[in-house]
Amino acid sequence: MIATITKLTILAILLLATTSQASYRELFEKEFMSNPWGGNREAHSACVECHASEMMKAPMREPVFAWRDSWHAQNEVSCHDCHGGGPDDASMSMSHQRGFKGTPTLQEIPQFCGKCHLGILQNFLESGHGKALLETNSGPNCVTCHGSHDIKPASIDIINEQRCSQCHLYDRAMLMRQALFTIEKRLSGIQTNLNELRESGILLQTQRKDFFRAHSDFRTLFHTIDVNLVKEKTDEFMGRLDRIETDTRAAYVELAFRKNFSGYLLLLFLFLAFGTLMLIRTGENKK
Amino acid sequence: MRDKIKKWLEPRIGLEEIVRTQFREYKTPKGANFWSTLGFVTLVAILIQVITGILLMLYYIPHPSLAFDSVQNITNGIPFGWLVRLTHNIGSNLVVATAMLHLVHVFFRGAFKRPRELTWLTGAVMFILLLSSCISGQLLPWNQAGYWSTTVISSMPSFLPVVGDSIAAFIRGGDTVTALTLGRFFAFHVVILPFFLLFCLALHIFFIRRQGLSPSPEQVPQVLPMAEFHQEQHPDGLPCFPNFSMKRLFMVFLYCATVSLILTFSPNLFMPEGTNLLANPVNTPGLIKPPWYFLAQYQMVKSIPNEFVGIGFQVLVLVVFLFFPFFDAGETERSIKKRPALMTTVIGLLILWAALTLWGMR
Repeated sequence: MIATITKLTILAILLLATTSQASYRELFEKEFMSNPWGGNREAHSACVECHASEMMKAPMREPVFAWRDSWHAQNEVSCHDCHGGGPDDASMSMSHQRGFKGTPTLQEIPQFCGKCHLGILQNFLESGHGKALLETNSGPNCVTCHGSHDIKPASIDIINEQRCSQCHLYDRAMLMRQALFTIEKRLSGIQTNLNELRESGILLQTQRKDFFRAHSDFRTLFHTIDVNLVKEKTDEFMGRLDRIETDTRAAYVELAFRKNFSGYLLLLFLFLAFGTLMLIRTGENKK
Repeated sequence: MRDKIKKWLEPRIGLEEIVRTQFREYKTPKGANFWSTLGFVTLVAILIQVITGILLMLYYIPHPSLAFDSVQNITNGIPFGWLVRLTHNIGSNLVVATAMLHLVHVFFRGAFKRPRELTWLTGAVMFILLLSSCISGQLLPWNQAGYWSTTVISSMPSFLPVVGDSIAAFIRGGDTVTALTLGRFFAFHVVILPFFLLFCLALHIFFIRRQGLSPSPEQVPQVLPMAEFHQEQHPDGLPCFPNFSMKRLFMVFLYCATVSLILTFSPNLFMPEGTNLLANPVNTPGLIKPPWYFLAQYQMVKSIPNEFVGIGFQVLVLVVFLFFPFFDAGETERSIKKRPALMTTVIGLLILWAALTLWGMR
């Protein structure tokens, strides 16, 4: 009886082990053998492959070339993220069932971009710009200021006389630009420091995330085009940026410590080398 | 205390005899200069790599989703982790440079000639293993620079006909650089290559000690006939200790000072663009370059329209480099200076290598 139970137990263990091994192997093959791990997005996009090919007429190729140099491309935002469709399969790439939309109408543009830029969409729609667009179907939309495929990182320079005076006097825009200036300047300075520190090997990932949030919140706030609200919130943003700047300063202190420490090591080894050389010379002179 | 330890050790291992035979009576050839210490400097540089590598391994996690963060943690979270990581990074480049200088010095000194063919062969194999160690280590931080550099280098064998794709697939563990490649490169970097490297190192040192250090071509201009084993004693030379040992020590300090100099003034000298960015297989960087010691080979493959010819030429150079003492066995002249054809060819190859490297840097 005991022997039978023992045999059955061993058999059960072996069966379980075989099952778990099989599932492990399946997982291993799925996850390790072919998955390149760096990101989840498709390396091959049917949209890019077709639109960049010689088969397409030049105007149809332009969006791809413009996109390749864009901020979106650098951040892996691809065609289907905005236009929908199935990028992994050429036959489904323009499927309306998969939410494909070729060229949106003026009024559809904010929703198009707002799929990702949710906070900005809300503030924009409640702003004078958004209301004008929805009511007159001719007001400013995202593309008016940011362009479409050749999206570049937004900066305060987007607010300029040439652009704003297409619809209204520049005075109002200038007031907003002045209100934004202090924070924008600090954002730009911190961004430079964070990039410099990253190149030096100090990533400050938490601070980068905090900075991204502050940066994004501030840009979201701007889309209300409410000068008073921007001025009111300036202190709050200053406080958030202060905390990040404290950490970047500490990182610079750490870099200075590393440099000094390495400098002392250099002096020590030079001193030892010089001492050894003197001993060699003394020995040679004795002979 | 010191005397007590010596007294305790003496009857057990015969310390006096070791010091006498291996240091005081072990003589270096006349004219052994600072260049002659480069082999020892390379040995110390390898040891520094081993020590810093073991320290890094204590915190490194060889998994694509954790490797990058673990390296960042080593650099910025662990006390003095930056020193260990940067020393390992800078050392991996300097050790190649010292090994190259050592090889060139040995060649021009004619020290590869009979009976030292095996010493050359083990040294040359060690050099290849050293380069392979450096390449395999590049992928481990799982950053953009290492990922794409590995992608480029691991694709080079695929230019060879018939077996090329299989070799590339074996190196990568698949068609592309994946998690399997990371595991494979980690195993190569920390176990397989160091094992063979230390094995060759042991053989290399054994041959040197057994045969004695090579005399200069001025002292012994012709290869001696090989009737029976003969150990070079250098009766007119100076004792290894303290004379030559002090020169070695000086060069080791100079090597450490060079590492410190780079650490102080340009700690990221050997960290290309993308070193501090997580590897992203779908985002190909604009400029992918292998490290400086592979730039010449890379540039050659890029410049020659037929990749097979480019790779084939390199394989040929590699075979000639490894087995040169055997190909050159018929020539009894030890001094390279008296062999203008060989000297011109070698200097020409070195200039070509330097030119291709500089071209590749652009």
